Amino acid sequence: MIDILGFLVSWLTLLGIYSILALSLNFESGVSGVTNFGKVLFYGVGAYVAAALSTYLLLAIYGIDTSETPPYDIKGIIALGHLSTRNPLVNLGLFALTLILAFLVAGALGYLLTYPILRVGPAFVGFTLLSSGELMRIFLQHYTPLGASKGLMAIPNPFAWVPVPRLREALFLAVVLSLLALVYLVLNRLVNSPFGRALKAVRDDEIAALCLGKHVPRIKATVLFIGSGFSGVAGALLAYYLTAVNPDMFVPAVTFNVWAMIILGGLGNLKGSLVGAAVFTLLDRLLTFVTPQIGLTVVSPDYIRWFAVGLLIVVLIIARPQGLLPEEPVKTPALEEALRAAGESSG
Amino acid sequence: MPERGVVGLIGPNGSGKTTLFNVVTGFYTPDKGEVLYRGENGVERIHGLNPNEVFAKGIVRTFQIPRLFRSLTVLENLLVTPQGQSGENPFLSLSKRRWENQERELARRALSLLKRFGLLNYANKKVSELSAAHMKLVETIRGLMTPAKLYLLDEPAAGVEAAAAHELFRLVRELRETEGLTFFIVEHRIEILTKYVDYVYVLHNGRLLAEGKPEEVVSNPKVIEAYIG
Repeated sequence: MIDILGFLVSWLTLLGIYSILALSLNFESGVSGVTNFGKVLFYGVGAYVAAALSTYLLLAIYGIDTSETPPYDIKGIIALGHLSTRNPLVNLGLFALTLILAFLVAGALGYLLTYPILRVGPAFVGFTLLSSGELMRIFLQHYTPLGASKGLMAIPNPFAWVPVPRLREALFLAVVLSLLALVYLVLNRLVNSPFGRALKAVRDDEIAALCLGKHVPRIKATVLFIGSGFSGVAGALLAYYLTAVNPDMFVPAVTFNVWAMIILGGLGNLKGSLVGAAVFTLLDRLLTFVTPQIGLTVVSPDYIRWFAVGLLIVVLIIARPQGLLPEEPVKTPALEEALRAAGESSG
Repeated sequence: MPERGVVGLIGPNGSGKTTLFNVVTGFYTPDKGEVLYRGENGVERIHGLNPNEVFAKGIVRTFQIPRLFRSLTVLENLLVTPQGQSGENPFLSLSKRRWENQERELARRALSLLKRFGLLNYANKKVSELSAAHMKLVETIRGLMTPAKLYLLDEPAAGVEAAAAHELFRLVRELRETEGLTFFIVEHRIEILTKYVDYVYVLHNGRLLAEGKPEEVVSNPKVIEAYIG
């Protein structure tokens, strides 16, 4: 029997997390023209900020010496398992705190990374960020306080104290979807404002924007702060959802998965990113859920997944480069004024 | 450069005309010499400033091949220009109330400019759909959304038919009268340029070869030699 409800909750949670990533990437790369091939860096930093802080702090709050019982140790993992169901307020407090810090740390990293990329063209921006992501992954693989290649486990889910698993998952899903709504509202406001218009101007012609008084470096740094901050939030949500993180979750392919979503949905169109994320996460979940249940084990779902992503990017760029939903004009009251003026001159 | 003047800059290919523009607008730093500009704060050195800072002093530049924001509409291209838009601040942009009135006011100003230059019907068209002449026109009037006083035009007549080129130069004269603007114009089509400018400088190999009223300059033997020889 296929577990439809379980499938839906798992799909929608993943959809929420990936939508935040896709929206923020579209904001950076589709709207503002910063070729971010290092999305996974900020996603990973957010996930590790949440994982490390919540586990270390939870142990410390209950008076456990983390130098003797670190969270990556088997004793630490067992202790975390007990402690995470003790006090709902501690869980929720840690969750809120680490979510904010994941935003700030990932955002600050994005802001700082604009310095090395400001003076190079889009391709090199892409490569610099891509390499930075790999640097992080390799660092994490060897850094023991963060669990090295095994990563961190027993991350205290904010709803770990809820006894019914289904309810726990549903509550977490509600949080993910509320944050997604918040990210969408914020980015939609930013894009449909004079600020969004300036972003598109910088994307279209940096030199002309500079000649018209736009402070291009500051604009790019702001964009990367916001986009990276939201990626950090997505990473933190992933850490809490899976309750475990390890360096191999943050390979460059994750970045290109998100790129495929925004290319499919339409570069520069935020709604398109939601569509793109929905299609890809559905494909992902179907492959993970359904293939074992119908006994199809000849081909590994992972293999099909990565293959399908690459193929889809190539096909889309050739056949429909504008994506399913093309970019729309910046929606400000100027549009109404234009309609009124056109009406007056013709009527 | 006299205030409210329309001054031309000519010279053979590679004589340094566009380089001069790049020095003035902050893309290059001069090895020697100074760039002085009399703006609101009196006479200031402006070399070494960034292009966006030069613009803030009141200097607008156009390019040989118009540099418009291709995916934006004509109206949006005009609205990118004004300085001090509160809606361009990422925090204030989140609250529409904080910038809506300013936006409407700027839009009305942009639309009246478009109407004045016969472009109102193109307001919501993407600039990539415009003809070359219209692109040059939009690039020039984009600056009118700001209090800028000095316009550096790089080959406004290049790539457009003669009638449209004359139209653009007539506009330059008109703007000098109505808005009190100053123009410094690089142009290869000397036969068009000389009809509209008060004064001409001639560059050759990076140096000033001649200057004077247009009719004097075009009959100057040194200038003729530089162009033909």
